[in-house]
Amino acid sequence: MLRKCLSSILLATALCSGTAYAGDVRFVVPPYSSETEPFFKEVEKDFEAANPGINLVLEFTSWETLNQKLTTDIAAGSPPDLALIGTRSLTDYAAQGVAEPLDAHMTPAFKEVFIESFFSPSMIDGKLMGLPFAASARAMIVNKELFEKAGAKPPTTWDEFMGAARQISKLPGTYGFGLQGQGVEVDAYYFYALFSFGGRILKEDGMSALNSPEAIAAAQSYKQLIDDGATQPTPTSYGEAETFALFKQGKVGMVFTFPMLIPQIKKEAPNLKYEVLPIPVKTTSATYGITDTLMMFSGAKSKDEAWKVIEFLYQDKYRAAFDEREGLLPVTKAVAASDYYQKDPDMKAFTALLPVAHFAPLIPNFDQIADITVRALQRVYLGEETPEVALNRAATEIDVLRKK
Amino acid sequence: MRERVSNPILLYPGGPAKAGEGGLRGIFRMFRVSRAFWLILPGLLLTALVIGLPILILIWTAFHEVSRFGVLLSFNGFANFADVFADPLFYAALLRTIVWTAAVVLGTLLLSLPVALILNEDFAGRGFARLLILLPWSVSLTMTAVVWRWALNGQSGLFNHLLLQLGIIDTPIEWLGTAPLAFTVQIAIAILVSIPFTVTLLLGGLSSIAGDVYEAGAVDGATGWKSFRHITLPLLKPFVNIAIVLNVIYVFNSFPIIWVLTQGGPADGTDILVTYLYKLAFKFGQLGKASVVSLMMFAVLLIFTVVYAALQMRREEA
Amino acid sequence: MGLFTRSRPIRSLLCWLLLAPLIALNLFPFAVMLSTALRPRDEIFINPQRWLPSRLAVENFSDMWTSVDYGAAVLNSLYVAAASVALVLLVGIPSAYALSRYDFRWKRKYQLFLLITQMVSPIVLALGLFRLFVWLGWIDSLDPVAIVVAAFNLAFSVMMLFNYFSTIPRDIEEAAWIDGASATTSLIRIFLPLALPALSVTAMFTFVEVWNEFVITLTLVRSSEHFTLPLEVHALASNLYELKWHHIMAAVLVATLPVTVLFMWLQRYLVGGMTAGAVK
Repeated sequence: MLRKCLSSILLATALCSGTAYAGDVRFVVPPYSSETEPFFKEVEKDFEAANPGINLVLEFTSWETLNQKLTTDIAAGSPPDLALIGTRSLTDYAAQGVAEPLDAHMTPAFKEVFIESFFSPSMIDGKLMGLPFAASARAMIVNKELFEKAGAKPPTTWDEFMGAARQISKLPGTYGFGLQGQGVEVDAYYFYALFSFGGRILKEDGMSALNSPEAIAAAQSYKQLIDDGATQPTPTSYGEAETFALFKQGKVGMVFTFPMLIPQIKKEAPNLKYEVLPIPVKTTSATYGITDTLMMFSGAKSKDEAWKVIEFLYQDKYRAAFDEREGLLPVTKAVAASDYYQKDPDMKAFTALLPVAHFAPLIPNFDQIADITVRALQRVYLGEETPEVALNRAATEIDVLRKK
Repeated sequence: MRERVSNPILLYPGGPAKAGEGGLRGIFRMFRVSRAFWLILPGLLLTALVIGLPILILIWTAFHEVSRFGVLLSFNGFANFADVFADPLFYAALLRTIVWTAAVVLGTLLLSLPVALILNEDFAGRGFARLLILLPWSVSLTMTAVVWRWALNGQSGLFNHLLLQLGIIDTPIEWLGTAPLAFTVQIAIAILVSIPFTVTLLLGGLSSIAGDVYEAGAVDGATGWKSFRHITLPLLKPFVNIAIVLNVIYVFNSFPIIWVLTQGGPADGTDILVTYLYKLAFKFGQLGKASVVSLMMFAVLLIFTVVYAALQMRREEA
Repeated sequence: MGLFTRSRPIRSLLCWLLLAPLIALNLFPFAVMLSTALRPRDEIFINPQRWLPSRLAVENFSDMWTSVDYGAAVLNSLYVAAASVALVLLVGIPSAYALSRYDFRWKRKYQLFLLITQMVSPIVLALGLFRLFVWLGWIDSLDPVAIVVAAFNLAFSVMMLFNYFSTIPRDIEEAAWIDGASATTSLIRIFLPLALPALSVTAMFTFVEVWNEFVITLTLVRSSEHFTLPLEVHALASNLYELKWHHIMAAVLVATLPVTVLFMWLQRYLVGGMTAGAVK
């Protein structure tokens, strides 16, 4: 094999590339949790049994390397047929003309499967460029026991939230609020406050709104909590996993989180008494929502077969299994109406927040904009810069990218 | 530090191969020239393709505007270079790379020298001690860094636990939460994993100092510190020089420790050139800028290689 | 001959005492691996921390093994390592033989070239390599990884082999030539068997290096089905929402222990090889 490949390199040919044949549907899937791979493998088995002659090839890759993998595949001229992507990346793909518009494939009956509002993030220039696949809205989870011990009341307003955080921190070895200051979602953790303060990510004209008074005030309030000792010390060493670990240990009173944390708590800290509540309100009732999109590539080799996979995957049976196992919110009507999402109090609380959820804007270069935002926030949390200075500079840097 | 095993034997190029002269051997020799060419050709091709071609590609890319999907758009002269030189993050990473390299190389040397001297002594269990000192060499840098990342966890890390147990600290420390402390810790880990290679190198040097040199010194009254200062150190100097140059090259290039522990954060406060480069290339898709940084780093490495080669030649002539 | 002139027992004690802090620091990561890999899931993020788990959770190894398909990663690592080592020897033996047996015009230049290739780090070329293999349409496969890693390890192996080859007297082959054997036959039948110990040591050093390779694999491989051990561990440790440190440490142990044992045995040759070189 090696010798063969070596000679092929010498000839600069692509003898060894790709193993896709007609009838193969290549589907790139970034796993959400350890449940994702088993789930898709079951789908693969069922699908191939139901559709002899079509071979579903699953390619698992981490969220971290997802865009890189797709980028290379596209650049190398062999894009997959289907991929699951963060909706915020869809613009990049649509703008480069590599996303396949799906309108032609949609039948009225299939359209009926979805909750209508989830289509809007995937509409680009009036065309449907992808299908909603996963959704999550964030909420606050509180440790009821710690609130009782501290004599505090679970907050509904931002000021109550600040007060409760301080009060709980007075308990020994306990912190009121778990603030994530490291990792991929530092910006998301700040957006909760930003939206609650009535701020936004981008202004009407598409430029950064991080230098708005609301944005600065929101960062100021987080910084205040750090200075008051109402968060865990040195938030900048706490990523997603570490912050939530604190909550599972019963060491913090409140965290902002996604539904996926619930099954983890049930498994790892079954005795923890928790409650899911809306994000506290400063001026606006809001939360941060994230959607993921299933897209088809315009360079796909087997579009009709790929569409069969899509239709297969959106059967209620699979949708319900996927949403429940991953702890995600439903995007289809049937699953939303199911007992699990109607009766389970935790899921109900999360689902109730969907109407007020703000989603990440669909803009190019989002990864880099996120990096600039995270850097500014970390400087604020570390006390290296004031919120004004850090966020003003971040806004300037982002505007340079936006103007490109 | 090393990404690959550094080559001790490279210290002794040249070797004893001397061709025969005249007569039958002369004929053999003519024959051999072309044979030698065919023998080294595969190695030459492999390295030229894997190391030469990417450099050409980098040069080509550095002078083009590149789309996010890696497509070369148009020739843009030195625009990518200007972009890099206008980026404050580049200067910060450059400065930190200098600090990083200097601190790790000096720290490694200062610790390795006494360790090598001790290991050169005749004492019970010396072989076993040497094995324990060389142990980190066998673990990949990635794995080492992953283990340390967990060990340095503020709340639940075993390093804090150990220090608490020993009474060295009384509250847990968030080692990776602030950039200056995180960077210091990273330097310390880098030193720790660089020691085995350096000690091995110095041990080789020490064993080359023949015993009778010391005996002669002892006759002249040089023992203990004096013999170290006036005999060991001067004779060891070429090995120390080589250790410095090789370590500079490896540390300058070292990626996994910082990448795994902090990815250059918090607030980019532990970014060095390699992590900055990797982010540019593979996170932000700024391929033009990344090519420029790659080329600059390559130039620096080339300079150090020339220095190393010069040191080597001098040793051989001596 | 050295610094301490006291009696051997006292000197031994002193030496061990001086080395103790460093040895402790070297052993510390292994203690962390063991202690963490053997605890139950709910004893990971605990505070205060402790060294000994309440029970030995050996199931971590099997859970980890099945949940990330670790066997595939082991096979991938073995494949890349074997392919690289084979390629390095295949290409390296002729080069080293030429260097030790022939005097040719650009011998020094070739040595300098090898030296430069050894100094260039993969990370500096990562982007160029990546674009090269994208252009060849040969990304996300283990074969290019094996080729690239082989190229980066070639210089080390060539010089190591060259050093050993030079110690084998040339008279033996020349005698064979006079007996009518062709140069190739004498190389294969007579020379290589003599060099076998050197070949195996070189092969094993290359193996350890390739086994631990990270940057090239990180750059050229995408799908988890092609992950090698360091990549799999890195992926486990960069899982966003839940870090299963007990699984990660189990994975690190499985990946590390065999190579550590191999290395412990090999390190004698490493120091020995240097001494041999220095004596010359």
